[in-house]
This record gives sequence, C-alpha cells and structure tokens, in this order.
Amino acid sequence: MIVFSPRWILGLVFAFIFMASALAAEDNKTVFPAIESETGRLTIYSTTDLAAMKPLIEDFQKSSPGIAIDYLEYLTNELNSLASEACRKGEPLGDLLLSSSVDQLLKLANDGCAASHTSPETARVAGWANWRDEVFGFTYEPAVFVYNSRLVPPAEVPRTHVELADLLRERLDYYRGRVGTYDIRLSGIGYLLAFNDARQTNTVFGRLLESMARASAVARCCTGEIIEEVAKGNLYIGYNMLGSYAYEAALRHPHLRIVVPRDYTLVLSRGALIPRGAKEADLGALFLDYLLSERGQSVARSSAFYFTETGGLPPDVDGPQNLKESGIAQPIRIGPALLAVQDRAQRQRFIEDWSQSLIELNSPAWTRE
Amino acid sequence: MRHERSLFARLARRISLVLGVGAALLVTAAWYYAETAANKAYDRLLVGAALQMAESLSVEDGILTARLPTSAFELLGLAERDRIFYRVIDTNGQTLTGYDDLQSPTPLDDVDNVPRVEEGIYKGEPVRIASATRVLADPAVSGEAYVIVAQTNEARSALTRELTLRATGLVFIMSLLAFAGAMLAIRYALQPVERLGAAVHRRDPHDLTPVSVDVPRELDPFVGSINHFMGRLNERVDLLQRFIADAAHQIRTPLTALSAQIDLLGADKLDKAGRQHYERVRERTGELARLTNQLLSHAMVIHRADSVQLEPISLVDVARRAYRAAIPITVDPDIVISFEAPDDRPFVLGDAVSLREAIVNVIDNALRHGAQHRLEVRVGASDTEAFVEVVDDGPGIPPEGWEKATQRFATSKSHEGSSGLGFAIALEVANAHGGTLSFRARDEKGFTVILTLPLYTGVVK
Repeated sequence: MIVFSPRWILGLVFAFIFMASALAAEDNKTVFPAIESETGRLTIYSTTDLAAMKPLIEDFQKSSPGIAIDYLEYLTNELNSLASEACRKGEPLGDLLLSSSVDQLLKLANDGCAASHTSPETARVAGWANWRDEVFGFTYEPAVFVYNSRLVPPAEVPRTHVELADLLRERLDYYRGRVGTYDIRLSGIGYLLAFNDARQTNTVFGRLLESMARASAVARCCTGEIIEEVAKGNLYIGYNMLGSYAYEAALRHPHLRIVVPRDYTLVLSRGALIPRGAKEADLGALFLDYLLSERGQSVARSSAFYFTETGGLPPDVDGPQNLKESGIAQPIRIGPALLAVQDRAQRQRFIEDWSQSLIELNSPAWTRE
Repeated sequence: MRHERSLFARLARRISLVLGVGAALLVTAAWYYAETAANKAYDRLLVGAALQMAESLSVEDGILTARLPTSAFELLGLAERDRIFYRVIDTNGQTLTGYDDLQSPTPLDDVDNVPRVEEGIYKGEPVRIASATRVLADPAVSGEAYVIVAQTNEARSALTRELTLRATGLVFIMSLLAFAGAMLAIRYALQPVERLGAAVHRRDPHDLTPVSVDVPRELDPFVGSINHFMGRLNERVDLLQRFIADAAHQIRTPLTALSAQIDLLGADKLDKAGRQHYERVRERTGELARLTNQLLSHAMVIHRADSVQLEPISLVDVARRAYRAAIPITVDPDIVISFEAPDDRPFVLGDAVSLREAIVNVIDNALRHGAQHRLEVRVGASDTEAFVEVVDDGPGIPPEGWEKATQRFATSKSHEGSSGLGFAIALEVANAHGGTLSFRARDEKGFTVILTLPLYTGVVK
C-alpha cells in the first residue's frame, strides 16, 4: 500500500499544473477575430470547454461585431494558481475569468482580486449565485450519473446515491474498475463536488466512497475524459459528471444516458469574475452581461449548457420534471462558506482521506493497456 | 427709534436654534449608538466564528489538525458582502492554515482566554479582528493555539447607516413637530399682548379710566403701569379743567364790570370815529363774555359727565327749556321761530342740565350764524332713538366742514364772533349720553343739526 503524504500529493499537483501549462501554452488559445474592424480585444481565461463556449462567443460577436476574443482554456487548478499569482503581482490575468470551480473564484474575490460590476443584467442573478457583485454564477448545472445503456441493464440503473452504492456492492465483480469519477487532486470542481457531497450526507457519501473504492473506481481529471470512456464502453458508469458536458456527449452517443439523482442533486453554477485592474474590464463586463442576459441564457440553454434554473430538464434525461420545483436541487451557494472548501488544511485533509479511500485500491486492468 | 424684531421672531429664532442643536446632538448620539449596536451584533458573529474554528482544532495522530467548520464561514457570511480573513496558529507559533500575514493588533500571549475584538487594517481595508485561544493538553501537542478571524466592515457600516438614517428621520420629524407646537404656543401666549394693544388702541381719547382687559399675570405690571400713567394724566387733565373753569369764573366778574363801564361810557359824547371804536369794544367785550360763559359751560358739562348719575328725563321738557333759554327777548322780529314736539314725550336717560346746555348751544349757533328768516326746533323719536333737530334757513356748513365744526375753537367764521365751542359742547354731551351729533345737508327746508340720543324704554316713575 502506497501512503500518500500531503506533500507528495501537492508536489504531484503542481508538477502536473506546470507540465500542463507548459504543454498547453500553445494549443489552449483560440482566437475569435472581430467580425468587423476591431475596436477591442477581450481576453477570457476559462475552464469551460471551447465547444460549450463557442456558440455563446459567436452569438456575442453578432451583437458586438467589433470585439475580438482571445479564449484561453485551462484546468480549474491551473487557472486558479495562474490567477492568484497574477493577483499577487498586481498584473491582472485577462479581462474575464470563467471557472466551474467557484470556490476558487470566491477565494480570489475574498483576496481582493476581483472588480465589482453591477448592471440590470447582474440584478437578475439569484442571490445564491452572486457574491459582492464580484463573483457571478451564470449557469445551472446539476451533477449527474452517466451510464452506458448497452452495458448497464435497465433494472440496475441507479437513481439515488444510495442505489449507486448498493449496486456497486451487490454487483462488485461486474462493475469493478468500471466506475469513473473526478480525480479531486487534479480537478478543482471534482473537489468542490466531493466536498459538498460529504457535507450533504456524510454517511451516504462515506458508503458511496467505500463502495467505489472496493469497485476500484477510476479517477480522471476531467468530465470529458470519463464520459468518453463511458461512451466507448471502457467505463460503465460516471459519477458526479457535469450535466452540461454529459448532455452534449449524450447527443453524440445515443447509448449514453443521464440520470439526475432523486435523493439530492448538487447544482453547480459556473462562476465569472472580472479581475481587478483588468485592461479591458469594460469588455469583460460586456461579455459577462451578455452571459447573464436573456439572450445569452437562451443560447446557453439551446446549445451550451442545456440545463437552466427555471425550465424543465432537457429531453431524454432520467430525473424529476423540474429540478428546482422538485426540491432536490442543492445549489452550491456562492458565498463565504466556499472559503471553508478552499481552506488549504481542509483541502489537504479531505484529499488525503479521499485518496486513502479510493486511489490506492484503484488500478483496473484496462488502464494498463 | 430702531425697529426691534417681533417677540414672535425672537422666540422662533431661539427655539429653532435650540431644536437644531438638540437635533444635531441626537443624530450624533444616534450614530454613535448605531455604530456600537452594529459592532456588537457583528462582533458576536465574529467571535462565534472564531470560537467555532478554535473548537475545530484537534490532535490527530499526534498532529494538530484544523477542520474548519463550514458553519463558521456561513455565520460570517450573514454579513453578506464582507470579506473574511482567518489564520490558525499552532502551538509553535507557525501558521497552520489561512492567511499567513494576518496579525492580531495586540500580542496573542496577552489573550486571557476571553475572545476579543479589535479594529485593524488588513490588505489595505479596515477590518474587525477577533482572536480566540485554544489550550491543548495532548501529550504530543500541548500549549496554546490561536485563531484570528478578521472581517471587513461593509455590513456594519450599512447597518450603522441604516439605523442612523432612521433615527435621523425620527429626530427630524420630532423637531418639526416640536417647532410647529412651539410656534402655535407662542402665538397663543402672545395673544393677550395683542388684545391689550387693541383695547388701548380702541379707547376713546377722552377716556382716561383704568384699562380693564383680562391679561395673564405676566402682563399685570404693564397694565398697572398704563393705568398708573392714565390716573396721573387724568389728574392733570382735571386740574387743567378746574384751572380753566376757575380762570373763566375769575374773569367773569371783571368782565361784567367792564361791560357795565362800557355802557356807562355812552356813545353820544363821541365823534364818529370814536363811536366806531366804542362799538367795536362793545362787541368784543360781548364775545369775550360769551366765550367765558361757554368755557364755564364746557367745564361744567365735562364735570357733570364724570360725576352726575343719569336719570330718565323727558327730552321735550329739556328741549323746551333750552329753547326758552336760547332765544333772547331781543331776537330779530323778522325771524320766524317755532318749536315742535310730539305728544308722547320721548324719554332718555340723561343729565338734564348738560342736555339743556347742549341744545342751547346748538340753537344759539343757529341763531347767530344761520337763521335769516326761519328757525325750527323739533323733538322726535324713532323706535330706538330720540332726537332734537334744529333747522335754519341759513347757508349751513358744507359737508367737508362737518368734522371740523365739532372741534374746539375751530370755525370758519371767527370774524363773526364765534367762540367755536358750541358744537364741541353739544358733541361732548351727546357722547357722554351714548348719542351722536350729526348734520343734514342743506335742502329746501334748510340746514339741520341733529342731536340723537338712545331712547329710554324703561318705566318712568
């Protein structure tokens, strides 16, 4: 049994970040040139897949044709360390930060790295998705189960967290090494979801974690990777996947199915933040207003994030008719409580516990191929 | 005389000054209390969070571990817009977690297990800083660990502002009410002064009796002074009148002697020029005698007005007596003189002597200056008034001269030997009886002077 010391994990994390950023420096940047003559250049640092943001950016450029956009994509933890480093040095990173790891954005705002922005559009944001007019949640994304319908028989499809834990226990041999979830050491959002799972129901989460560990659950950095594996059939079930990515993949792979858990569903709102002192803060605010506007939300609903706070679930999703009205939705409130999530001792301790339970048991045969 | 500001304006100014200063003090106090209250409220959250964090410290496997409870942050999150900074310091003085550079304003060693809250600055922002101590007595880790929690002041300031604003609103409304109330009270309090002023102003110039208006005690000295002054003035006027009466009386005796001497002088021994002078001296002496009589009569009338009890008398009797007294035996036979009176004698409440004097003067005036061929004296009565009319066919007095005619020594015909006291005496008497002296412009009958008196309606004995 390998013992993961905190320092070791931290080292691993930073090594990964460094490597990733060095490698990604070239190909993580996408330029959207201005449709008409360029009047401004907006730089967005984001953790959101380009595919999801592309329709939004293109629609935004239709209303503001003079604006060119540089879109830089990072993993959540990378973006966080870049942004906090930049803030410490007083050289703001880009003009707008978009991150699914809202706890990291909140920490940045708490450290005074954010500029506040108010407009008629920001006034529409729900109280739980706005902190100090500095961090705004602009999506509504449930954490869902994803399964491959060819490999998971209909009778076995889990619809609550407890059912998932029980399924893994009862059909241990079948699902061994076939369940995927976030590697919370690498993914800020994975950590955020896991932490909130633990807060939500400590016992159920403990049971689930234990079951997943026994079933040699696979941990990966990103939603996309796990979903692709599920689609391919290497994995059967993906746990705590972001609904938006899962739904986008399900559109491409008809045998990929989505379950919105019926006991409780964590709902994450992707966060946006304008760095303090950003060069083109006005453009950042403009794009933020667009994201929050009726038009931006409707584009997001149809072609980027699919789930919305007010509307029903998209078609072919297994779950309650309307998330909000059903009362099972547990939005992760964008507020100071996230500082507890971001506390470094807390994080270290939580990841340690998680790693001990999960990773060391985990080395499925197909990953070695 | 410099015009002093009114009492009302002075009081209003002083009261508004006092109210303004009071309101400013109250608002300052409200702000102070609001700030204290806001600080107390939010300091409790801060201390609560610090205690929760300190409580979360535990020793696991010989290592001090902090599992900061989410609830502590949610507690602080009740101040929705405030940023939160914290630092956990282990028993060796090393930062366990949180913001490394967050310092407690006073050394942590001094903390005597009671959480404190202080002012401070962190990351360039004013913050409130709470610190809590946790004493650990584990074999592996023993000593004191500290938790420092800081929070920005937005919620406190907002609460302070809101409380102060509301208190200010109340103070403002109260001040307005107090001011309005004070103004009304001042107006009410000053009313007796205006009433007294009006009463003094309304007074007849001849009325020198004490002022009898109900005034508040504060004005008593003032009214007393007025009355004292009036009393003295009255004495002086009395003295003056007595002096005039005495003087007139004293003059009468030598005057009578003078008249007799002039008669004895005889005109026949004089030449033409001498006779002319003689006639002029005789006329002037006559005028002097009449003037002296009128002065006496005037003094008598005034004296009687003050001292004689009025009683019901027949105006016809009085008028007839006056008529007889006024028409001299030597009256010009060309003038037709008549006296008319109704059968039911109108009675008035009056002093027969004064009234007779008044009517004599009116008739005398008419004879002397008016009547050429005709003079009528008529007594009559309406439902409420009795009157004596003296009509003559003379030129009369034009309306613009009526007011002047009743003033003493004011007449347009002094060259004809008028003393000018006749109408003044009549008016004096009329006023003393509550009546009037009026004129009717010349018509086909002639010019009329009317003495009107209130009719006596009681039973006559």
